[in-house]
Amino acid sequence: MSRLQLEEVRKSFINGDTEEEVLKGVNLTLREGEVTALIGASGSGKSTLLTIAAGLQRLSEGRVIFGDQNLPDLSSEQVRKIRAQHFGFVFQNSHLVPFLTVEEQLSMMMDIADMKGIKQYKQTKIKEILDQVGMSHRLTAYPSSLSGGEKQRVAVARAIIHEPKILFADEPTASLDSTRSRHTMELIQQLTKSFDMTTLTVTHDEEMLDYVDCIVKMSDGKIVNA
Amino acid sequence: MAWKEMKKNKAKFLIIGAIVFLISLLTFIISGLANGLSQDNVSLIKNMPEGTFYMSEDSDDSHTQSHIDPQKLNETMKEDENAFAFSLQMGALKTESDNQQSVAFLTSTETSLFTRVDSGEVILDSSLKDQGIKVGDQLSSPQFQGTFEVVDFIHNQRFNHSSVAFINQKDFNHMFRTEEFQIIYSPQINEEISGLKAFTKNEFLSTIPSYQAEQMTLNMIVWFLIVISGMLFSIFFYMMNVQKIGMYGILKALGMRTGDLFKMIWSQMGLLTCTSLIASALISQTFQVFAPDTMPYHLPIATTVQLSVVFFVVGFLGSTISGFQIKKIEPLKAIQQGEA
Repeated sequence: MSRLQLEEVRKSFINGDTEEEVLKGVNLTLREGEVTALIGASGSGKSTLLTIAAGLQRLSEGRVIFGDQNLPDLSSEQVRKIRAQHFGFVFQNSHLVPFLTVEEQLSMMMDIADMKGIKQYKQTKIKEILDQVGMSHRLTAYPSSLSGGEKQRVAVARAIIHEPKILFADEPTASLDSTRSRHTMELIQQLTKSFDMTTLTVTHDEEMLDYVDCIVKMSDGKIVNA
Repeated sequence: MAWKEMKKNKAKFLIIGAIVFLISLLTFIISGLANGLSQDNVSLIKNMPEGTFYMSEDSDDSHTQSHIDPQKLNETMKEDENAFAFSLQMGALKTESDNQQSVAFLTSTETSLFTRVDSGEVILDSSLKDQGIKVGDQLSSPQFQGTFEVVDFIHNQRFNHSSVAFINQKDFNHMFRTEEFQIIYSPQINEEISGLKAFTKNEFLSTIPSYQAEQMTLNMIVWFLIVISGMLFSIFFYMMNVQKIGMYGILKALGMRTGDLFKMIWSQMGLLTCTSLIASALISQTFQVFAPDTMPYHLPIATTVQLSVVFFVVGFLGSTISGFQIKKIEPLKAIQQGEA
């Protein structure tokens, strides 16, 4: 079943006097329980496509359909709400908040997503997610004391604590070594299935494609092979 | 989150708090000293309630040249029972051990504002106690043939940076060879008296030689300090938040409301500023209690509160301006460049 649909998405940037089109009418459908990988050379438009799909930047033309809503038609506050409640993000660098413990990172995300609940519920939920990513033993650790792989696991936990419908992962393994990269992708794949999420990831690493259901290759702002 | 960040980065916030504390303490102390100097110059007049001061029309706005016609004085005092006349002249008093002190001799008609003094007696401002003068001492004056016996001390009565010496009218007239008073004071405001020139308290203060020039200089110093301190406050809070723009961008990408980020910025600013201001206000007020009498230091609570409000508002503006930078940041840019 389709969860996010991109129709004829175009994005142009003004560069000096010239207008540069980085997305040239992209059509893409993301389905429930599937991990879709965007691959392609640098500058092919894959990161731009991911951020447009995630409501992090406006498109020039086209439609991004989530549920029965077209994201470009919504106000920035409505898009923020969708991002907070229904989308999860894993970035290239984990981008954890440096002054929050692992537990607090997840608790903060629950607050952002307006998951009002009693403290005990929150704690149970956090423990449950951290168990799944294998980080429950580092509940009170600060990001500065975590390894790169551990940080990325916590970032994954933060991205899914509010049970988003779609997980956006922008090169989540770029800063990790091969073993940790595999573990992270394995984790994303497994969580996508178990939470019935939809995942859209950008990757340069072909080894990571073993963990995805659908590969979309981009070149010069267009999908060349899906 | 604001509190968690402060707890985690104790050293950073302690340093910022210490800077805010030191800047505000410096401003409080300098204001106290400026106020103190002003008090030292004219506390006698400043301590009097708001009212109207009258001098003769030919006085050229100088109390030393003013002379009130005794008939006019009688008429005025008959019409306004709270009015009284007084005269002030600079002079000197000498102790038996030849310690000479510059004083402002004051005499007045009967009033509840100034203590009545008999001929041959003097009441002095308490700062002269520090010069070893005590009740019962006999003091002489180059202008006076006899001696004055010190009968009492009175607190905070200074004029022209000298202690005020309250003496009897007869002695004053004898010393300065005059029969007329210089000034009439009435608690009534805006009452015109024909043949006399009326001054409000502030207008009268500005007729005192050196007072206006001194006040302008002191006010300039204090206001420069307030402006510079205010700017420093603003810049500190601005820099503190601008450094975290990347993190705020990430939080916006995750879906945090900009309003919640503003709350975080304001609560950190509020907590730091309030704690630092309370500490510096307490120290500057305590200093007032223990400062030696010879040090002109006077910091009223009202001034402390006014300065604190100025600092708080300026700190608030500084952090709000940085908040606008955060409002403008694109989450996408933060993801690409920012460090959370």
